Amino acid sequence: MKSYRQWNTRCALPGILKTSGWIAAVISLMFVVPAKAEAASVSLQSDTIFRMGQSTSDKRNLYPAYEYLRLSVPEIDKDGTISFYFGGWGRYDLADKTTDRYTNGDLQYGYLSYRSKKNNLQINLGRQFVSEGVAAERFDGAYLRCDLAAGFGAALFGGATVATDPNFQGGDVVYGGRISHTMPKYYSIGISALKTDDDQSRFREEEGIDIWLHPFKQVEAVGRSSYNSITSGWMEHAYTISYIPLDNLRINFDLSQVNYRDYFFHMTTSALSVVPGGVLDPNEEVLTLGGSIAYTPIKNLTIVADYKNFDYHVAGNAHKYGGKATFSLPASFAAGIALHRMDGQVDRLRYYEYRAFASKKIAKLDLTADFFGVNYDSNINGLKNAFTVAGAASYEITERLKVAGDINYSRTPDFDNQLTGLVKITYAFDTARSAEGRAKGEKY
Amino acid sequence: MKNIRMLMIMAMPLLACFLYACANTNSMYRAHPAEVTGIPDCSECHTDNWASLNHQAADFYEKHRYYAEQQKFACGVCHEESFCADCHAHKEEIKPSDKYKLSPERELPHRGDYLNQHRIDGRIDPVSCVKCHGRSNNERCKECHR
Repeated sequence: MKSYRQWNTRCALPGILKTSGWIAAVISLMFVVPAKAEAASVSLQSDTIFRMGQSTSDKRNLYPAYEYLRLSVPEIDKDGTISFYFGGWGRYDLADKTTDRYTNGDLQYGYLSYRSKKNNLQINLGRQFVSEGVAAERFDGAYLRCDLAAGFGAALFGGATVATDPNFQGGDVVYGGRISHTMPKYYSIGISALKTDDDQSRFREEEGIDIWLHPFKQVEAVGRSSYNSITSGWMEHAYTISYIPLDNLRINFDLSQVNYRDYFFHMTTSALSVVPGGVLDPNEEVLTLGGSIAYTPIKNLTIVADYKNFDYHVAGNAHKYGGKATFSLPASFAAGIALHRMDGQVDRLRYYEYRAFASKKIAKLDLTADFFGVNYDSNINGLKNAFTVAGAASYEITERLKVAGDINYSRTPDFDNQLTGLVKITYAFDTARSAEGRAKGEKY
Repeated sequence: MKNIRMLMIMAMPLLACFLYACANTNSMYRAHPAEVTGIPDCSECHTDNWASLNHQAADFYEKHRYYAEQQKFACGVCHEESFCADCHAHKEEIKPSDKYKLSPERELPHRGDYLNQHRIDGRIDPVSCVKCHGRSNNERCKECHR
């Protein structure tokens, strides 16, 4: 039987945090309205999307309509220290109402942010995505980060978990932090921790160390090691080193080692869980070694050769290698080709993967053609060659209004002839700042 | 012992305030001061650590998670929050490669019809699935993985 103390601290807390998040969102909207009235920098963008396709399970025709709304108010107050961000979407299927899933939607993020002009102090309240060391989490709660003396920095966060739980629960409360030390010319190193509780037990406890070294202009190393305190094992060591001997030559080395039992701990889908009888073997370990060489013989043209070796403790080895070449002229033209070979010990892991694409901007018109194919060594559902051909176009009707569409034809082991398409109407209520998610300076 | 613990708990906020007060650094710009078009090569202008954020580098897509977990606020100088949410979503039904169909040069996952290929990628490299589908955006998995 749970004690009052347990109920009070573990069960009530997520609810309180969720409520706090919503209160923060409502309060921030109250700020937004007067700010808008004073013609402050407010950006609202609507993306209305119509898709056509088939359900993967029973091949029903689907015609879902989506509405994505993104609002950003970067300067609510006079000093420009308070801002507000909101993003969400809703979907309604225009044709199929045979199941209770013909509507769906999500609040992606909605938070009020304070950013001081000194010490990189930032306080966020609401639904947000935090990325601090071992944590890459979406939650409803509070986040605080700031610079400290002598090159140190600190970040703290806590709130109610925002997870999907198709098979297993994702925990109730998540909290953690990161302390870092930085010498901007040479390195940044951090230690971080994350803890998730539910009302029954310790759910997740992870600690990690992350590094970003650049001792010389030509050398950079980044990576992370993370430890699972509940299973008492290292989850992951992942590091990559880049050596840039010449301005047009870049050589990379990658290394990662993952222990399945520790890494795939308390996932919420059985597809990625190490539960008994599941898809993944808890005793599996994988060591991945790889590298790439990128050469730019002339400006805008890059040629890359890459290699990756997967060394599995239980399942055996596989190699993936190949190359690609890309040519791009900023904001006007891009084209590329790529060819890779996967060479594994089982039939399904022996195939060629190839791709060719080109995109061109002509005044207000954008055009793109894309071809992606896989050539399997052995038949899968009677098919060796799977491919998708896509064509896309967009036209900027006005500075605020843009219409885009694409059509895709696929032949795969699951679909003999599949035709899918999409039409997107984008309206930016303010052209000064885009909220679509591209670089702020880019047009929508 | 209890007194020492209490003293430490009381001293921690004071120490944090002291360290914060002594930092005296200027906060980073909210928005990049110069306009950036296309996929940027930060090393064209920056010679310090920001030069590493060369988005044109062949390995940038693989490495962006390391930069984000250390300096996410640096990403915010050029990218809106929705940029992260396009891929790292709580619930999402449109693939990133479909959202950015007109930017084929971007290294985005799941091109083409991914239903068959996910069975292969999921076997050879399930670790790469976890960041986006381990504890979020995985409701469709239940259609087959019950």
